[in-house]
Amino acid sequence: MNLMLHEPSLLERSAFIVLAAGVLGFALVTVTRKSAIGALMALVGSFCALAGLYATLSAHFLAVLQILVYAGAIMVLFIFAVMIMNRDEDNPIALRGLFLRATGVIATGYVFYRAAWIVVRERQSDVLSTASTLPIPDYGTVASVGRILFTDFLFPFEAISLLLLAAVVGGVLLSRPSRPSDGGGAL
Amino acid sequence: MPGYLYILVSLALFFIGTTGVLLRRNALFVLMSLELQLGAGSLALLTFARGLGDQKGHVVAFFLMALAAAEAAVGLAVVVSVFRTRKTIDLDGINELRN
Repeated sequence: MNLMLHEPSLLERSAFIVLAAGVLGFALVTVTRKSAIGALMALVGSFCALAGLYATLSAHFLAVLQILVYAGAIMVLFIFAVMIMNRDEDNPIALRGLFLRATGVIATGYVFYRAAWIVVRERQSDVLSTASTLPIPDYGTVASVGRILFTDFLFPFEAISLLLLAAVVGGVLLSRPSRPSDGGGAL
Repeated sequence: MPGYLYILVSLALFFIGTTGVLLRRNALFVLMSLELQLGAGSLALLTFARGLGDQKGHVVAFFLMALAAAEAAVGLAVVVSVFRTRKTIDLDGINELRN
């Protein structure tokens, strides 16, 4: 897929606009929703649209993994947690301390406005305009990313498997209901 | 499409996630907003990887994904554990370490 060699076609434009609007719109729904299940479903939609954006960047391997890991595995975890704690919020936005929070939001909004300004100013640079053609024919495929993963990044790969094992053990230990005979148990 | 548009989408997504983390008081929604922020980070990584023509960004995004899975597992376990002992996950209500 050679989408940055030439002026983007109408199909590429419309795909980008639909996917970007999907990502941001579903994310807004996630943040503002009262019911947890509704927010989760919007989150799944946001992640699927994000996977589409990855695919338009020729990151095919990551696009598939995004759907498998985020929209699949992590969402199942969240749904289990929601089923354990099934209650909606009374008022989603806290009123107490609203001034402090609003100040924080305005400050971060200003930071992001400045960052976006810099990005727009530098849009002609080599990296951000990406006028280059695909560097190699199999850019972003499972084969070529996997080759880097198992040569240059073999040690981090093994380390991350250890981290996942620790997370699994820690998750089981933390969420286990504590019995009085345990002498307190977790937390 | 030019890469700076992807970066702008990533910035906007990160900002939405930050707003959720700051404004929501339910711990579940805060964790969901954190996932949005991680997704925004991955999108920026992949965009720069495409711009530089280097696939190492893909590998880092892959590690980020594994990290997000671990974070979700442990974070949700902590939230469930807090809910078991306190019967609430309202972040404003969990203030035992105050005073």
